[in-house]
Amino acid sequence: MNTTHYGNYDSIKEAIVGFNEYCRASSELGLGINHTKEALITANQGFINDKSSFRYALRSLYCTCQEQYPEFDKLFEIYWRKKKHNYSPTTTKKGSSNIKKKSKGSVVMMGFGDTRQDEDQKEDAKNVSGANKMEALRKTDFSKVSSIDNDLLDDLVEKLLQQMNHRLKRRLRTSKNGGIDLRKTIRKNMPHGDDFVNLIKKNRKLEKYRLNILLDVSGSMDKYSFYLLKFIWSLKANFKQIEAFIFSTKLIRITDYVDQAEVSLAMMQMSQHADNWSSGTKIGECLLDFNDQYGKRVLNGKSITIILSDGLDTGDPEILAREVQRIKMRTNKLVWLNPLKGMEGYQPLAKGMKAALPQVDTFKSAHNLDSLLELENILAHV
Amino acid sequence: MIPEVTRLIDRFDQLGYVVEEELATVLLLMLKLEKPLLLEGPPGVGKTEAAHIIASYLDTKLIRLQCYEGLDINSAVYEWNYQKQLLSIKINENAQLSTEEKESHIFSEEFLLKRPLLQAITETEKAPVLLIDEVDRADEEFEAFLLELLSAFQMSIPEMGTIRATHKPIVILTSNRTRELSDALKRRCLYHWVEYPDFQKELNIIQKHLPEMEKQLTTDLVHFVQYLRELKLDKSPGIAESIDWANGLAALGAKSLSEEYIKATLGCVLKSDNDIQYVKGQNLEEVLTGAQ
Repeated sequence: MNTTHYGNYDSIKEAIVGFNEYCRASSELGLGINHTKEALITANQGFINDKSSFRYALRSLYCTCQEQYPEFDKLFEIYWRKKKHNYSPTTTKKGSSNIKKKSKGSVVMMGFGDTRQDEDQKEDAKNVSGANKMEALRKTDFSKVSSIDNDLLDDLVEKLLQQMNHRLKRRLRTSKNGGIDLRKTIRKNMPHGDDFVNLIKKNRKLEKYRLNILLDVSGSMDKYSFYLLKFIWSLKANFKQIEAFIFSTKLIRITDYVDQAEVSLAMMQMSQHADNWSSGTKIGECLLDFNDQYGKRVLNGKSITIILSDGLDTGDPEILAREVQRIKMRTNKLVWLNPLKGMEGYQPLAKGMKAALPQVDTFKSAHNLDSLLELENILAHV
Repeated sequence: MIPEVTRLIDRFDQLGYVVEEELATVLLLMLKLEKPLLLEGPPGVGKTEAAHIIASYLDTKLIRLQCYEGLDINSAVYEWNYQKQLLSIKINENAQLSTEEKESHIFSEEFLLKRPLLQAITETEKAPVLLIDEVDRADEEFEAFLLELLSAFQMSIPEMGTIRATHKPIVILTSNRTRELSDALKRRCLYHWVEYPDFQKELNIIQKHLPEMEKQLTTDLVHFVQYLRELKLDKSPGIAESIDWANGLAALGAKSLSEEYIKATLGCVLKSDNDIQYVKGQNLEEVLTGAQ
């Protein structure tokens, strides 16, 4: 049966249930049985007597943010249209199927695709492997890790980041003692009359920061993106609210994917949904997007913002400088991590980097594991 | 529009509020389904006003909880009156009472300071309107606590037991979208996005507030504010700002909107220096003649 029109059902009750099923199948509104029930009550209350009233009422029931309005309106129009057409417009399910997958890009991002200089890298990697391989790996530049050591490094990354998280948590928890907790003190000292023998103090409330991370995934960052993404994923355990974005020529929000419990799952989803891997870099424009679209929403309260980029920019450095300043004005601490800084004799001479630097609170390298682990200190002392 | 909505809009109009069809429909649905309503939208478009409208329509009390970062249970729900408790302990020091009796005395309702949320569920006369303003500013923990309250309308105080709502309050939450609220909270609420008003609605609102203002001046002013909203400003003016501006112009005795008046009073509508400088740099004469 064609279920995309109310005329196909015998009673109005069935039609409303049908509308719910239709919405569930062809949208991502996330409707449950409760919605069906409430839609029926709404109709029963007389809202169904007028189309616009019915639409406004159902819209307030079904939508949970403004962005869903157009999608709902479309579904509503199709389902409750006056005359039944022979051809019915089909709505395609929005999902993985119509998102263009840039297979090459995603492979490169996983850190295995680019084999151009694999031989050289193997040479380099061998050169740094000393007596203690693990110790050496920690200090190896991500871009020079050979595919042989890759698995080994993966394990190490996971282990060390876990340790760091553990320490961070503990550090955030044992804060200084605050004022006297009158409520507990009165209760505990009841037997002593009005003499307070034991003063009970209350711990100061944990100060939680929001963390915003912007990761550059342009071509020049290919070798680092994979590890840095892992790093982002591991941080989410400590910060209640973490917003993550990747950018190259355009900005994509990846917060929802980072939220996966398994790192491999998170990576998989990201590579499917983002199609801007290893393209050019327009840092300024992407930060402009970030400020306009998300700035007010994510840069509020107490927040730390981390930009992970090599600063090699093809855009206008003036825009970059202005946008970095805008971020700086709204965040407590702005950290720029640059993998290139790990290179000997590196000077921030790239146009983009030079423009942004005056606004940055902390400028650090992020080329190997040790340098990432150092971030612990930055995050613990804001 | 169904007749009930029409009646509601008329009634609001009598009470002095301008409400468009969609918001009226949603408000009606909220009353029928007894579900909380979440209003989102840019600042200054009258989200808080909606709670006032409903309260005056139902002729009931409006209880307001303003959220902020770090808002905790003590300032949102209840607190014990410690000073009074201490005095009571002192007074009863020599009384022949057991510790249990003393304890139950100082943890009785007499020593309880009710904060907005507890007030809302212990209201005895009539269901009040509970306005939880700018819920996006509160912490996530508080949001979780709100969830509990919004689904069961009861609260437990360890020393006193569970308190159930005598009348289910009408709950309106507002958010400026400085962060996303949790899905769980959104799912328990009806949702309505409040937009900036269109020309006609804004004109009606300003005429409601300042009936004696010159028609031409009001029209020009609304045109100009609508023009400002189209510019990409840091902070677009809301209705509150338009009303402020109208008040300001009325106080200066302006008869029509001219470039000098605009430049002198721009601070009423625009609250950021960048925006003010930017707008002053525009060809205001042209905008004004264009509007007329």
